[in-house]
Amino acid sequence: MDTLGIFLQIIFWGLYAGCIYILLATGLNLIFGVMKIVNFAHGEFLMIGAYITATVFFLTGINPYLIILLSMLALIGIGAVIERFCFRPILGTGKLNEIFLSIGLIYIFQNGAAMIWGDSWQSVKSPYDGITVPVGSLSVPLDYILIMLFTAVILCGLYLFLKKTTIGMQMRATSQNRKGAMLVGINVERIDIISFGLGCALAAAGGTLWVVSGQVFNPYMGSIPAVKAFAIIILGGLGSIPGAIIGGLLMGLAENGAAVLLGGIWKDAISFVILIVALVVRPTGLFGEKGE
Amino acid sequence: MKYSTLVIAVLLVAAALIAGCSQQQATTQQPSAASSQGIIKVGVIASLTGPASNVGNSMWQSAQVAADKINSDGGVTLKDGSKAQIKLIVGDDESTQQGGQTAATKLITDDKVDILVGGYSSAVTSAYEQTIAEYKVPYIVTGASSPIITHRTDIDTSYIFHHCPTTDSYGQYTTTFIDQVLRSALDKKFSFAADRPIRLALLYQDTAFGKGVQTAVNNTITNNKLNIQLVAQQSFKMGESDFRTQLTLIKAANPDAVYLAAFPNEGAPIITQARRDIGLNTIFLNVENNDNAQFYKDLGQYGEGAIIESRFSPYVAPTGAVADAQSTFKQSYFTKFRTYPDMMGASTYEGVFIGAQAIGNAGTTDKTAVRQALVALKMPQVIEAMKDKTISFSPDYRESSFDLWMEQLSYNATIGETRPAIVWPDNLKTSDFTLPSWYVAGSSS
Repeated sequence: MDTLGIFLQIIFWGLYAGCIYILLATGLNLIFGVMKIVNFAHGEFLMIGAYITATVFFLTGINPYLIILLSMLALIGIGAVIERFCFRPILGTGKLNEIFLSIGLIYIFQNGAAMIWGDSWQSVKSPYDGITVPVGSLSVPLDYILIMLFTAVILCGLYLFLKKTTIGMQMRATSQNRKGAMLVGINVERIDIISFGLGCALAAAGGTLWVVSGQVFNPYMGSIPAVKAFAIIILGGLGSIPGAIIGGLLMGLAENGAAVLLGGIWKDAISFVILIVALVVRPTGLFGEKGE
Repeated sequence: MKYSTLVIAVLLVAAALIAGCSQQQATTQQPSAASSQGIIKVGVIASLTGPASNVGNSMWQSAQVAADKINSDGGVTLKDGSKAQIKLIVGDDESTQQGGQTAATKLITDDKVDILVGGYSSAVTSAYEQTIAEYKVPYIVTGASSPIITHRTDIDTSYIFHHCPTTDSYGQYTTTFIDQVLRSALDKKFSFAADRPIRLALLYQDTAFGKGVQTAVNNTITNNKLNIQLVAQQSFKMGESDFRTQLTLIKAANPDAVYLAAFPNEGAPIITQARRDIGLNTIFLNVENNDNAQFYKDLGQYGEGAIIESRFSPYVAPTGAVADAQSTFKQSYFTKFRTYPDMMGASTYEGVFIGAQAIGNAGTTDKTAVRQALVALKMPQVIEAMKDKTISFSPDYRESSFDLWMEQLSYNATIGETRPAIVWPDNLKTSDFTLPSWYVAGSSS
C-alpha cells in the first residue's frame, strides 16, 4: 500500500468514526439548544441503543440495520420519561443540579444495564460481515458505507423535520428564544419532551450503528463518547446542528490522525487538545454566535 | 450557560471517568481474630465490573471453587491442631486504579483479611501496592503480569508474591517460538533465503503490561541476536475498541506476523478488524490472558490460524500429570457456574491453595509468619504445569515458574468458534503448527 493509499484509508476510518460522534453530538446539541441543559448521561443512551439492537437481533435474527427504527423509537420513550421525571423538576434550578443529576443517571443506567445484560463485552456480526466494496483505490467493508449512508439519511430527515414541520419550527423557535416562544403560544414543555426524546433517539441510532460495525460493547461504553460529544459541540458551537456535524467529522479525522502521528494513546486526548485550541482561537465555536 | 462553566464541567467529568487514582492513607491495623474463630479470611481482588469483568469474574468464581474444595476436604490445619475453614471476601477493583485502591483498603481495614489473592491489570494492581506495603498483608498476585509488581523499588514489595508468568517470561517464550517454529514454517512454504529476517509487528496496550511485552520482545531479539526485524510497533489505550488506523499502518509495513499485547476484549476485535476490514491476512500471536471462552466466542472464523501462548485453556490440556487435575477443576467450575474457567481463573484457584498451604505451614494467620512460609514454600503443582512440578517463589523477586506452551486455533464451523491445539513445545504438542491457506507472508517492498 502506498502512502496515498494509507492516507485515504485512514481518512475513511476517520469519517466512519465521525458518523457515530455526529449522531451523538447532534442529539446532545438538539437537547441543549432547546432546553439549555447539560446531560452527561447522554452516552448511556448510545449504550442502551446498542443493547436494544443486540437483544432484538439475538432474539429474532432480524437484520440489525432494520432494528435502528425500533431502537430509536424505544429511546424516544425512555428519553421522554427521563425528561419528564428527572430533568423537568430541576429545570432552571442551576447547572450544578443538572450535572449531578446526569452523573447519577450514568451510574443508574450503567448498573441497570449490567443487571439486565451482564457487564461482559459483547459483539454482533452484521449480515454483510466480510463483504467489501471498491471505493476509488480502496476496498472498504460494505458495513461502513451503510453506516455513512444511514447517518446521512438520519441527518437529512432531521433537517427536514426541523425546517418543514410545525413541531420542528416550534423547536427552533424555542431554541432561539424560549420566552418569546411561550408568548406566541408554543407549549415549550411539550417541545422539551420532544427534543429530549429526539436527542436520545439520535444517540440510539449511533448505538445501533456502533453494534453493526462489529465493535464490542458493554454497559460502560457510553462514558468516553459522551465526553467527546461535549468536546464536539463546544468545538462546533453550542446549539449549532451544522457545528455538531462538522465538529464530529473533524473529531473522527483528528483522532485517527493523532493515532498515526502521535500514537494510539492520543486518540482520546486529542479531543481535549482540539477543545482547548478552539476555546483560545474561537471561543464561540466554529458555528456559534456571541452570547449563546 | 457560559462556555467556561461547561468546559470546567466537561473536564471534571472526563477526569472522573477516564482516570484518577486517589491514594488513601493507612490508619491503624487491627489484629485479626478470624483464625481464633476457626475461619481464615481470604480477600480476593478481582475486576467484577468494568472492561476486565469477564476475566475478573472467572478469577472470583475460581477462588470460590478452590475454597469449596479446601473446606470440603476439612479446611486448613493450624499450629494448635485446630481446623480452620476458608472464608472468601471479594473486593471489586472495577477495572480502575481508584476502584482497586478502594477494594484493597476495604479488604484490609474493614474486613481484616488474613491474606490477599488476585489482581488482574498491572496498572490497577500497581496503583494499590502501596497499601499492601503499608499494612504488610501477604498478597499472592495471580493475574497482573508486569514484572514491576515485585521488581519495583519505590515501595516495599516483600509481602507480594507473583504467581503468574511475567511479561518478561512469556514475551521471551513467544519470541523464541517465532524464531524457531514460525521461521521454519515460512522457510518451508516460501523457500526464503536463509538470512531473510522475520518481519514482526507489535500492537500493544499502552500500559505497564503492554510495554512489558514490548520490552521483552525487544530484549529477546537483541540479547539473543535473533534474525527478527520489528517492522512496526503501534500502541493503543486500554479499553480501546477501534484499532483500524493502527492496523492500517501495520499492514503497510508488510509483516510476517503480528504480536498482540492485549486483553481479550481488545484482542478479539483487533483480529476481527484486521482480517475483516483491513485484509491483514497474517498470523496473530496472543498473550496468555486471551485463553478465555469469551475470546473464542468473539473471534469466530477470524481466529483461524491464530496463536495463543498459554498455560491453561478452557478447551485443551497437555497430556501428563496435570491433565486430570485440570479436568476435575473445569468440571467443578462448570457444575457450579455453567461455563468454563479461564487462565487467570486457574492461577487464582491455585492462589487460594497456595495461601491455605502457607497458613497451614505457618500454623497461624500472623502475617509475618505467613510471609515467611510463602518465602520457604515448596508445594506440589496443583492444576498448572510448574517447573520441577513444584510451586515455589524465586528468592529475588518472589516469582513462581511455569511450563508454558503455544496453541494454534482452528475454526469449527459447526459451533461457529475456533478451538485450540497445542503445537509447541514438541513434548506437549498434539498437532503441528501450519500456515493457513490464506496466509500472506510479509515483504520488504
